[in-house]
Amino acid sequence: MSLFSALDHKHTIAPPGYSRWLIPPAALAVHLCIGQAYATSVYKNSLIAHFHTSQTAIGIIFSIAIVMLGLSAAFGGTWVEANGPRKAMFVSACFWASGFLVGALGIGTKQLWLVYLGYGFLGGIGLGIGYISPVSTLIKWFPDRPGLATGLAIMGFGGGALVASPLSRQLLSYYDPAYRPSVASSVASGHALVLLFVTLGVTYFVIMMFGVVNVRVPREGWRPAGFDPAIATAKPLVTTGNVSAANAIRTRSFWLLWIVLFCNVTAGIGILEQASPMIQDFFRTGGTSSVAVAAAGGFVGLLSLFNMAGRFAWSSTSDVIGRKPIYFVYLGVGMVLYALLASAGHLSTALFVLLAGAILSFYGGGFATIPAYLRDLFGTYQVGAIHGRLLTAWSAAGIAGPLIINGFLDAQGKPGTLTATAYRPALFTMVGILAVGFLANLLIRPVSERFHEPVTGSAPERAAVPVPATKGAPDNE
Amino acid sequence: MNDPTTPPGGQAVRLWVSWLLVAALLGYGITQTAITAAKLFA
Repeated sequence: MSLFSALDHKHTIAPPGYSRWLIPPAALAVHLCIGQAYATSVYKNSLIAHFHTSQTAIGIIFSIAIVMLGLSAAFGGTWVEANGPRKAMFVSACFWASGFLVGALGIGTKQLWLVYLGYGFLGGIGLGIGYISPVSTLIKWFPDRPGLATGLAIMGFGGGALVASPLSRQLLSYYDPAYRPSVASSVASGHALVLLFVTLGVTYFVIMMFGVVNVRVPREGWRPAGFDPAIATAKPLVTTGNVSAANAIRTRSFWLLWIVLFCNVTAGIGILEQASPMIQDFFRTGGTSSVAVAAAGGFVGLLSLFNMAGRFAWSSTSDVIGRKPIYFVYLGVGMVLYALLASAGHLSTALFVLLAGAILSFYGGGFATIPAYLRDLFGTYQVGAIHGRLLTAWSAAGIAGPLIINGFLDAQGKPGTLTATAYRPALFTMVGILAVGFLANLLIRPVSERFHEPVTGSAPERAAVPVPATKGAPDNE
Repeated sequence: MNDPTTPPGGQAVRLWVSWLLVAALLGYGITQTAITAAKLFA
């Protein structure tokens, strides 16, 4: 069997006895690598110095990557569904690794446009395809615990930054002994940056190949031992019908879920984007903050841990209490936490960290639970492609969240002079945004049967349970 | 890569290696981040 035919969907069907517990590490191998996208700030100053350019010019690299993530996830989702997870992971690895290598060429030749093309454009496509590649497969392998399975994988995206940040700092120090990561003004040489990009590109490609080799799709009709689909679908909102990606975006529930994700991400990004200066500003008296710059960096790290833990813990919890209730927790409790942060966050550092950490755990949980929520509403047929389309909410929130918080803060005064009071308008606005998301979640109903794919005899897993299986009154989409 | 008609061989080893790789990566990341985060309360 040639390499390329081995990537085909038909050659990735699991043989009898294949352990489904090989699939989460395969998914994690991809997500832990592409999660590096959140660690670009480590070498941002070095790139600015190397290219003698502005923060904005370097920031565009990350912006292109995130835009390409959203576009490739939205438009590549159907291709991923048709070609299977192995080919998708392989394509993702090729784009992601070549993004680093082309980026390295751009740094080495001082051609910034090559970095845009490499890390931004090519790497961004790798990000989008890689992010959605294992989702549908995990849901099919874990019909009994979809929240746990997708939570594990998407936790990897959060964990990727935890790995890449210290690794990049250590590699830059190794390649450029004059570079001091702990000194804010210290920058690494262009040569060290080239070597870092090449090392990351090659290493990530090898790790992602673990995922490519191990990933399998279950054969049609496969079910885990002791799993009864009738029990799983006896929960509210869980369907046994299947909706195509093209039909899904015609339903009201899809757009309500889009609003839910948009609101949850917008609120979380508000804190993430501003984390380091925010904790210093909250504890500033008489122009001096009691929180040092190094301690603020520790706070950012702690938030990353909460973000990652929330992805696994809350998504797994959703398997027990249901998807709609867990989003009521993210959005409803989130509103209370934001209000507490605004009104009492300045009273103690521990309280501030606890509140911000809980908010960030809900932010991560919102990302990780979405695929399972989509499975409940639209079935497993094209859940990966539907997930890809929904991720446009992430791109939109990535623009809206920072704009809202920075807009309010700019009106309050100059950076370095702000106090806790300056954050109140922005934080109470986030409470309002979460309230909109709460309302959207409240309005989500089972998808009308007229959007379901016809049941055929060749799809035993669909025919196993009679349609209709939706609970409650379907919305009149 | 396995042909779909062949039974999975060495699956236990593959499971161990896969999860060890994940544990090593996450363990490294969490430890390094925890060291940085400790500065907040130092």
